[in-house]
Amino acid sequence: MGVDIRDLRIAIGGKEIVHGVDLSIGDGERVGLIGASGSGKSMIARAMLGLLPPDVMVTGSVMLSGAEVIGAADRTLADLRGRYTGMVFQNPGASLNPVLPVGRQVELPLRLHYDLTRSERVERVNAMLAKVGLPADVAAKFPHELSGGQRQRVGIATALITSPRLIVADEPTTALDSITQRQIVDLLVSLVDEAGASMLFITHDFSVLTRATTRCVVLDEGSVVETGETATMLAAPQDERTARLVRAARTLTLRVSREGADRETDRGAAPSDDATADEHEGEA
Amino acid sequence: MKAAIGYAATVLRSMWRHAGGRFPLVVLGLWAAISVVSLFWTPQPLMRTDGYHTWQSPSAEHWLGTDGTGADVFSWLMAGSRTDLLIVILTVLVAAALGLLFVAAMVSRHTALAGASVVVVDALISIPTVLIALVLAVPMGASIAVIVIACGFGYGLNLARVARPQALLAAQSDYVESAVSNGASGAYVFFRHIVPNILPVMLVQLSLSAGTAVLAESGLTYLGVGVPSGTPSWGHSLATTVRFITVYPLTVLWPGLVVTVAVVALNLFGDALRDAIDPVTNPELRRAAGATRMEEDGHGR
Amino acid sequence: MRFVLRRLLLFVVALLAISVAVFAMLRVLPGDVAAVMAGVNSPPERVAQLRAELGLDRPLAVQYLDWCANLLHGDLGASMLTGRSVSEQVGVRASITFPLITLGLLVALVIGIPLGCAATLARGHRARAAYRLVSIVGGAIPALWSGMLLILLFGRGVGLIGVLPSQGFPAAGWGAPVQALTSLVLPALSVGIIVGAGLMRYTRSALGELAASGYIEMAMSCGMTRTQAVRQVGLRLAMPQMVSVVGLTFAEMITGVMVIENLFALPGLGTGLVTDVGNRDLIAVQGELFMLAAFFLLIGLLVDLAHRALDPRLKASIGGNEVSA
Repeated sequence: MGVDIRDLRIAIGGKEIVHGVDLSIGDGERVGLIGASGSGKSMIARAMLGLLPPDVMVTGSVMLSGAEVIGAADRTLADLRGRYTGMVFQNPGASLNPVLPVGRQVELPLRLHYDLTRSERVERVNAMLAKVGLPADVAAKFPHELSGGQRQRVGIATALITSPRLIVADEPTTALDSITQRQIVDLLVSLVDEAGASMLFITHDFSVLTRATTRCVVLDEGSVVETGETATMLAAPQDERTARLVRAARTLTLRVSREGADRETDRGAAPSDDATADEHEGEA
Repeated sequence: MKAAIGYAATVLRSMWRHAGGRFPLVVLGLWAAISVVSLFWTPQPLMRTDGYHTWQSPSAEHWLGTDGTGADVFSWLMAGSRTDLLIVILTVLVAAALGLLFVAAMVSRHTALAGASVVVVDALISIPTVLIALVLAVPMGASIAVIVIACGFGYGLNLARVARPQALLAAQSDYVESAVSNGASGAYVFFRHIVPNILPVMLVQLSLSAGTAVLAESGLTYLGVGVPSGTPSWGHSLATTVRFITVYPLTVLWPGLVVTVAVVALNLFGDALRDAIDPVTNPELRRAAGATRMEEDGHGR
Repeated sequence: MRFVLRRLLLFVVALLAISVAVFAMLRVLPGDVAAVMAGVNSPPERVAQLRAELGLDRPLAVQYLDWCANLLHGDLGASMLTGRSVSEQVGVRASITFPLITLGLLVALVIGIPLGCAATLARGHRARAAYRLVSIVGGAIPALWSGMLLILLFGRGVGLIGVLPSQGFPAAGWGAPVQALTSLVLPALSVGIIVGAGLMRYTRSALGELAASGYIEMAMSCGMTRTQAVRQVGLRLAMPQMVSVVGLTFAEMITGVMVIENLFALPGLGTGLVTDVGNRDLIAVQGELFMLAAFFLLIGLLVDLAHRALDPRLKASIGGNEVSA
């Protein structure tokens, strides 16, 4: 689904946080939105889907496939969300409903938008869980019984269960360890491509971005500072602020690869819980 | 001392700036003023009863009419405000003292005492104040002391429980550690380091308790275990008129209205106080604190 | 399971402690029990005779054990004034008070939870201030006054729309179910409004925290409107805490409705306790206090168990250690 954002401004309590951002995503394109924390990335993602609380002032224009989001009725937006758009959150531990078994969480978009029988829903949920690499018995478990990586897989399954046309991933890997990060990014990218959907991938970490996106937008203190091919930008950042993010990513990548190597050589000691070990086997 | 007065002035000034703070300040100010005035003057003498003019409608002579004994309703409400003010002040003092005592026990370095006091507070807190008042009334009869002791006890326990987390945090802090290792006494540490930390929580909780005390006064007095008959109080005015509600509804409206407005004011006072003493929501306080610190530095040198 | 057993053990210990406390309270307080009972100016012989009659001349420990043994048989002694069994008296009064507070709580829930939701979802400064004012004013009304205003509005024979009885309970009790129920409507409303204001404030603060959480955003991202998400996900997540609050509110209402029972001339537990205190009927007071305290403890137990059953995160925690969610 194509996205066209024009002059988006977001203000909380009279204070403008996002100052007229333009951003577009083509059909089937994966675009990154990168910036330091507090730069307004998550705000933009939420504004796109109408998730911001009512006392936040949003002006400008967000078009999803030609339909205006800003100022649209609650009901209209809700009908859009979960059907044509899916969102993956930063911290699945704080967003997956803690009193709902995983299966019921994943089927929520189906229940809200489609008229299916219980067995049809269960069938689709099980297929989706298998697709994101989770064992079938996970459906009956509660989120707190899963590892961080497994939880994020549940988050991805929920976002993709209805084959939406647009995925907004808000720092989906930040809460994860470096190895799991890579697996989750790869999983997300392959599923999005398979569905032919567009994706906005938000992060503060360039090293993740190269795996996930082709083009990216750099945000600093609520304004866009640079836009271009991810690979080019990573190699030769034009703006000083972009360069800073790239440098941070380099040191991080170095550390990550070293950590990864450590883990690979010393399997028994490093991953303390079974779940992390699980993720490892997927990788190997 | 000068710093304390400056702090209070800053807090009051920022409360006055919002409607939610101005209303309670006005009401509480009026309440205090009326209480003092009622000691010297009421429109009609309190004890003047008049069997021929009972349940009169409001008139120039009796602004809110008269009650079943022919006494002036307005005068009794005026005089009642001083009793209620006294009850509120005493209750708050008792609650604060007991609350501090319990907090001190709960954050004490004697782990046995601390553990035991936590259990005791949790167990006692579920006893309703009305029950305590009824038990006290068995030997004491109806008296202001019953209200003050029962409410002070109940609210003190509540205060202790609410303030405990903050107190514990302060008690485990580095500055308390260093004070103790420098040989400071327990009492010194408690009043110098722990009490200032829980003061904001205490003030808010106590102003809520004050509101509840006014409500408790009216309820207990009605049940016959609160303010003894013959002593003016809002609860007394409410209780003596309520039995005739169906006949003289208008007379009955006033005491209830006075109680409601007073309790609303006390609750809003608590909210406004919380906003005013929170450095996060009140920038003025930060500036004032900065100024004081500089001043202290100046003295130090 | 271990948690349940431990909680039950705590219940029993607390019950014992309460029995000691109630027993001791009426003996430690100033004033000799027999002297108080006999009356102010009664001769010393009469007091001594009463002491012997009541067994007050025996050692305290013996008296206490004796009292406990009777308690186990459900025997709270006989009222000094009426000679009737205290347990029977408590039963009759409870048959009025319990339906009353249940109804009152229902009213409070019906008022408090929807208003709390609405206050959470309110848009704009003015709307929020209005909801806040409603909850503060509702909580500041003396029970006596709300009851009175309701009588003025709906009391049969006196009110503007005088359709409901406002005095007394039918002599036939629940033998006349319709009259019995209608006589509880106004008292239940009076107390329900006040308790409802408290629940509203509580719902508002519990939901307010959740409304800004990822759980609500997640539900919204799946296709719910904010209103739906707050009502379905928010309320469900707030439920464990809400159940605790509602349970404790229910317990508090037993004493909270005393004034209302008095105003509406309902012979419930509160009215009874006040009368017995007024009459210095110490045996009855002692029995009633114990029953009330035991009831508070029981509610506390049920609330803790329900709280746990409603939150899968707590159920799973090993060994029953408390986990703050």
